[in-house]
Amino acid sequence: MRGRLLWGAVRCFWPRRAPGPTRRPLSCGSRPLEQLFARDGPLRTFLERQEGSAAGPKLAEVARLLSEKEQELRETESLLHDENEDIRKLAENEITLYQKEIAQLKHQIIFLLVPSEETDENDLILEVTAGVGGQEAMLFTAEIFEMYQQYAAFKRWHFEPLEYVPSEIGGLRHASASIGGAGAYELLKHEGGVHRVQRVPETERQGRVHTSTMTVAVLPQPTEINLVINPKDLRIDTKRASGAGGQHVNTTDSAVRIVHLPTGTISECQQERSQLKNRELAMRRLRAKLYSMHLDEETSKRYQARKIQVGTKGRSEKIRTYNFPQNRVTDHRISKSLHDLDRFMRGEDLLDELVQSLKEYADYEALVEVISPKV
Amino acid sequence: MKLGVLLCGLGRAGATRAFSSWPPHSPLTGLVSASELVGHWTAVFEERGIPEARQSSEYIVAHVLGAKTFQSLRPALRSQPLSPRQLGRIQELSSQRLQRMPVQYILREWDFRGLTLKMAPPVFIPRPETEELVTWVLEEEARRPHAGGVEGSPLILEVGCGSGAIALSLLSQLPQSRAVAVDKGEAAICLAQENAQRLQVHRRIQITPVDVTLERNWAPLLPWGPVDLLVSNPPYLSHQDMGQLAPEICSYEDLAALDGGKEGMDVIVHILALAPLLLKDSGSLFLEVDPKHPGLVGSWLQSRPGLGLRLVAVRRDFCGRPRFLHIRRSGPQRGGGTVDTSSRLQPAPVPD
Repeated sequence: MRGRLLWGAVRCFWPRRAPGPTRRPLSCGSRPLEQLFARDGPLRTFLERQEGSAAGPKLAEVARLLSEKEQELRETESLLHDENEDIRKLAENEITLYQKEIAQLKHQIIFLLVPSEETDENDLILEVTAGVGGQEAMLFTAEIFEMYQQYAAFKRWHFEPLEYVPSEIGGLRHASASIGGAGAYELLKHEGGVHRVQRVPETERQGRVHTSTMTVAVLPQPTEINLVINPKDLRIDTKRASGAGGQHVNTTDSAVRIVHLPTGTISECQQERSQLKNRELAMRRLRAKLYSMHLDEETSKRYQARKIQVGTKGRSEKIRTYNFPQNRVTDHRISKSLHDLDRFMRGEDLLDELVQSLKEYADYEALVEVISPKV
Repeated sequence: MKLGVLLCGLGRAGATRAFSSWPPHSPLTGLVSASELVGHWTAVFEERGIPEARQSSEYIVAHVLGAKTFQSLRPALRSQPLSPRQLGRIQELSSQRLQRMPVQYILREWDFRGLTLKMAPPVFIPRPETEELVTWVLEEEARRPHAGGVEGSPLILEVGCGSGAIALSLLSQLPQSRAVAVDKGEAAICLAQENAQRLQVHRRIQITPVDVTLERNWAPLLPWGPVDLLVSNPPYLSHQDMGQLAPEICSYEDLAALDGGKEGMDVIVHILALAPLLLKDSGSLFLEVDPKHPGLVGSWLQSRPGLGLRLVAVRRDFCGRPRFLHIRRSGPQRGGGTVDTSSRLQPAPVPD
């Protein structure tokens, strides 16, 4: 509205129109996602088809608003080359406001179109396992686990280690943690896969660069309703089982192992001194494993064509390479490289940048699926 | 090398000190990591026949490094060398373990349902089964219609509180509740009070020395009632059980906290007799007992219908043994009068 008024005022006094400048790129939004919103692109066509459809009166309304704002933005942009400095300044302010509104509207459209997964709001279990490369792989696994622990702190998520299986020299064979907080699963779900490191290992005497791998698995934590387990299907093993138990015996071994009899899935925990707590943590891991098996059946069909996989399908994909000699980390799914590996491994803004890019690309793929004409 | 000197030196000097019983193991040389130390002490304990050799050394080393369990120690800390002070401390604690002291007394603390409680000999060390007793009480409480609304409710009385594990767990999970905890032992009273203070619930609990096996002691208890919940893990070992206890228990724990008389029923029966005097109508008594007892308790109650107590449910522990009893009281508040506390299974009528 204000734009129109401004334009109207300008028209009265300055009949000559300045040529429109090229559009300034949005500070947010990845390129593929932006391109989807291009005029006459498939998304636009799709949105136009939504007009009057029962599927989304809300969607149609937002789409219409978007077109309006974009039109207003284009009209205001032509004022950027006006002779009058005040007009130019006003135009700049207007444009910033429009761009903000447009970005919000686009996000809304994405939000309305991209189906949210049953699991997006859930907490998760993060598991790391050393792969190929012996001691070096295990050292790298410990560093990656530490990175995610820092990342959780950076995002103010709750991070609770469930299991550590260490190596002899300070590395990790395997570890898992329970992570919870706003948006945790949604962001971390794309971290699942094989991570590869290229560097001179600590144990290497001749200075040669080695390649080692480790695997990250991200399992959504089911809510009570998502997954119901019959207590009769569980066998709980503890050290107290042999003997009389009770006052008769004083033991300190509070390790717990739970076996889900129908599937043979096992979950163990000895993180805590309280046996009850170990049982609770072991149950959490078991539930996540069972839920993940259940979800895999559902998602495998949907995700077949995508670059960014989740669940067990994605677990064997080589998703990222950490090249220390070149001080560079590359995610192969979106072909994005970041420099300053030390900073990346601190699990703060640099990791966050990559994680956000992945999320945007995943949204893009989901959006493409929604709007593509069904064959 | 420094460590080697440390260990050897102590060994040689140790004629009168506990370290003189140092086993003839090759001393560790060079810088030692936590993992290596655990390996070392595990071997030492195993050689001396100390039960739970690996767990004991893991807990001791972890404790000195500031962690609760060895598994929760960050991997990096496990391979770093330890300081001489840390090594010395671990040795001190390990030599106590060589004397069969329970790990909980060595560390002077232990966890119960997520609470860390101070432990001190000879006060009874909470067993894992009892964590489930508390779970059951909480489940039943959640079922009741009022559910957490009224201040001071539920009012809980614990008999034989020991370190305070049961009462303090309940207080921390039921924010409106209040508790009275009694125990025969002075040491238990002191420890429970200290734990209540540490957990910041001391204003909601009254801890008093009382021996419930003496009826003349009951009168001062009565004004605390009537209570909603009576809960106890009373001494329930039989004489036969008492004869088979491990040195950890015999030499360090208060045997009065374990001894339940010939059949292990003596203290249980006193609590059952006390219950009608202290419980509200529809109030509940939750007991942990020996797996041999549920049937005996059922019979005992059935033969004394005047008490107004009914065995409502028996619950198994996580190993499938019937260990927990839920007894409910029904009927108007009773006054004084004597109660037959004989634990013999005779249908003795209760005088009104």
